[in-house]
Amino acid sequence: MGSQAPTSDQLLELRNLTVDFGGVRAVNDLSLAIAPGELIGLIGPNGAGKTTVFNLITNDYQATSGEILLNGQSIRGLKPDRINRLGIGRTFQNIRLFPHMSAYENVELGLNSHPHYTMFEAFVRSPRAFRAEREARRRAHELLELVNLQDYANDRAGSLPYGLQRRLEIARALASDPKILLLDEPAAGTNEEESLALVQLIRQIHQTTGFAILIIEHHMAVVMDLCRDSRIYVLNLGSLLTFGSPAEIQSNPQVIKAYLGEKKDGRRRRRLS
Amino acid sequence: MKPANKLRKTVIGLVTAAAVAAGLGILVKIMGAGYFQNILILVGITLIATLGVAVLTGYTGLFTIGHAGFMAVGGYMAALLAKEAQVPFFYAVLGGGVFAGLTSFIIGYPAFRSRLRGDYFAIATLGFAEAIRLILNNVRQIGSITLGGAYGYMDLPTLDGSIWSWLPKGGWGPVIVVMAFALVIFFLTHAFVVSQWGKTCIAVGQDEVAAQMMGVNLMTTKMMALFISALYAGLAGGLMAFYYGYLTPGFFMITRSSDLLAGVVFGGMQSVIGPTITSAVLVAVPEGLRTFAEYRLIVYGLFFVVMMVFRPQGLMGYYRMDFSILGRLWRRREPAKAGGR
Amino acid sequence: MMLVLLQQVINGVSIGAIYSLLAVGYALVYSVYNFTNWAFDGFMAFGAFMGFAAIGSLAMPFWLAMIFSMILTAILSILSEKLAYAPLRVRQAPRLFMMISAMGVNLAVVNTLNKTFSGVMRRFPIPDEWITTYDFGEISIGRMDILAAIIAFVCLALLWWFLFRTRWGLGVRVSSIDIDTAALMGVSNNKVAFIIFFATGVLSSVAGVFFGIKYAVYPLMGGAVTIKAMIASIVGGLGSLPGAVLGSLLLGVLETMVSGYVSSAYRDVFAFALLIILLLFFPNGLMGREKGEKL
Repeated sequence: MGSQAPTSDQLLELRNLTVDFGGVRAVNDLSLAIAPGELIGLIGPNGAGKTTVFNLITNDYQATSGEILLNGQSIRGLKPDRINRLGIGRTFQNIRLFPHMSAYENVELGLNSHPHYTMFEAFVRSPRAFRAEREARRRAHELLELVNLQDYANDRAGSLPYGLQRRLEIARALASDPKILLLDEPAAGTNEEESLALVQLIRQIHQTTGFAILIIEHHMAVVMDLCRDSRIYVLNLGSLLTFGSPAEIQSNPQVIKAYLGEKKDGRRRRRLS
Repeated sequence: MKPANKLRKTVIGLVTAAAVAAGLGILVKIMGAGYFQNILILVGITLIATLGVAVLTGYTGLFTIGHAGFMAVGGYMAALLAKEAQVPFFYAVLGGGVFAGLTSFIIGYPAFRSRLRGDYFAIATLGFAEAIRLILNNVRQIGSITLGGAYGYMDLPTLDGSIWSWLPKGGWGPVIVVMAFALVIFFLTHAFVVSQWGKTCIAVGQDEVAAQMMGVNLMTTKMMALFISALYAGLAGGLMAFYYGYLTPGFFMITRSSDLLAGVVFGGMQSVIGPTITSAVLVAVPEGLRTFAEYRLIVYGLFFVVMMVFRPQGLMGYYRMDFSILGRLWRRREPAKAGGR
Repeated sequence: MMLVLLQQVINGVSIGAIYSLLAVGYALVYSVYNFTNWAFDGFMAFGAFMGFAAIGSLAMPFWLAMIFSMILTAILSILSEKLAYAPLRVRQAPRLFMMISAMGVNLAVVNTLNKTFSGVMRRFPIPDEWITTYDFGEISIGRMDILAAIIAFVCLALLWWFLFRTRWGLGVRVSSIDIDTAALMGVSNNKVAFIIFFATGVLSSVAGVFFGIKYAVYPLMGGAVTIKAMIASIVGGLGSLPGAVLGSLLLGVLETMVSGYVSSAYRDVFAFALLIILLLFFPNGLMGREKGEKL
């Protein structure tokens, strides 16, 4: 670390975060901060770099420069599993469940990622091992109930409808007991009814667990509703355009222009220059 | 499964197992004890090594075609310990196994760091096995120890009776020893795969990126799985040494590694009982049918492809061990639910 | 001293040329389909045996036998793709399954050859007059080695021309970056598969024939060579075609030098040691690109 250790009273803070891929600057000088327990939104047109930001936080991509601080400690350059153990959980835009395992097993695997007993004890089935596993089973069922999937516990994850798979992924991410949850477009592909249910679910999770949540979303109604008491950051072409309350964002002419650069189906209109 | 249903299936399963055991007993009488003992010992040895590959490839998803190399390392080390250092049989075998496990770090550490692709590891296993075989082929003498190179390491203490005097005579002694090892390994392995440690292996095998994001340390998990598989292979090699009374590098050619892989591919990708059954069958059948033995590898090859295309999870993929499973086999085919318990 | 060194370099290049044919075939499949095709071991032996049979039983002249072998091996290669890989690819099966399937193809081919022809080592039937060497003082270069190097060069040059100067070659190159995008752009997946496995088959058969000429023809001949080709590919950078060629030549030379100065028995152990060093310090080899996964 540097001679002056960066400090922060925020839970998660990004400072001047930048990443270059070859000649392309995917994220440019991004700074944002999330306090414990906040529910923050991250929006922006397609290609703005939102998922890239998540990948930078979890260090699946190496940042070129800038700082990422969790509870004041730099986590840049740490291995993704270490970052998870320090308290960051995430879901993926492309859904990365274990398709052949049941819903229950998916969540249980999330709980088992740091065994609470030694390998030797695993082989000989010590009492501590039994207790830890029983506890994991109980907790797995608890998490399934939290996301209302207890009826699907034994179904193959790959066979579940899309919307339920997203919920399952959230449950699995919760299994590692994160302090902040990164949700990547959980409402993608959902219809009106499902997205309403999702909003309720996320709000309920937020209230029950008290974790911070950073949510990337393209579905405007969802993110405006969820973040109505907090703020939303807007990304465009890798840079932070602005941030503020939903009302402020919705009436901000720059934001509107950035989004109008897209046609309704999400493709960018050719620029005049 | 409902309790009454499960009870019924368990009873059916136990009856089936008993029937099979009785059938085998009759076969022994017909074919002669010595022949049978030979098969059982080979089954036991192969089973132990196969279970190791099951943990590495079946559960953790890492392709290996080099475990014959670990068998060789373990076998020769066990033989060295017993013959040159007069280490008692049991500890020699164990020592060989542990040594083989430690050797696995040579390819494990370079291949697993920085999230290199599984292909690198696979190539490394092939290279490793070949390198070991070549070294053993060419080293005739180390100091006063005559390893024999390609001619083989001779005059090792053997399993029959001379090791433990309380073993029954008539050739069943070695069978009991090997089967005891195999049984212990089987239960230890089952315990491992249902434990949280085993589940980290499964997660890595299913989706590394997701596993990492759940807090699983990829390097540690992979090296653990590799160590276990190499340990098992080494134990099997040691048992081989004391059964045959000698070792040559020719015992550990790539066909041996293919056999181990076949046990897992056919038996089931995430199963302990599956590879157990198939490796037993794959050893017993060629021994029994000489003509089949010649075509064996051709058939394996074709079946690898067939399995991958039509039933990649293998015979028993994703099933847990349970006698009720045998009972379930009698039912007409129904779509299998993963997990289930 | 220098002359001995030069001789070894020459020998190294001649075996490196054979490695390069296999390494390029391997790299081609890897760069587009992202998996290790173990089967080129068997294809090489198959090619050698087809050439052997063509001359021995069908009394074809050498050149015709080579073409005969190339075509048959290409057919085998394409067939294996259709039956063993395409069904998995379509389902987006995990790489582990593709590797297992490839190993299955290899086992089937090699052991069928073993059963049909037996493991006896055979001399590749070319006229004795052809096996001459050209001597320049103390340096001698085998005529067949020169031929091998030339033909290898021609094959690779043809491949290069195809990849960089034709439309279908462009399609293949695009596929190696991202096969799904290529499909969206109109590049037919089936055509690409056909081309790639045709090329692998041809390259393997040429390698097999010349390896057979240089050493001997037997069913397990692919064994020691393919691991070298794979390591050579890693030396050059997994997935890179020029890297495969470079790595092969480099490995061939280094290996021959180890064989000459240290011990011939440990030549193959050297390749393995090299692999470990590479993995530890240079996993991307000379020219490799690390292809990330879409997250």
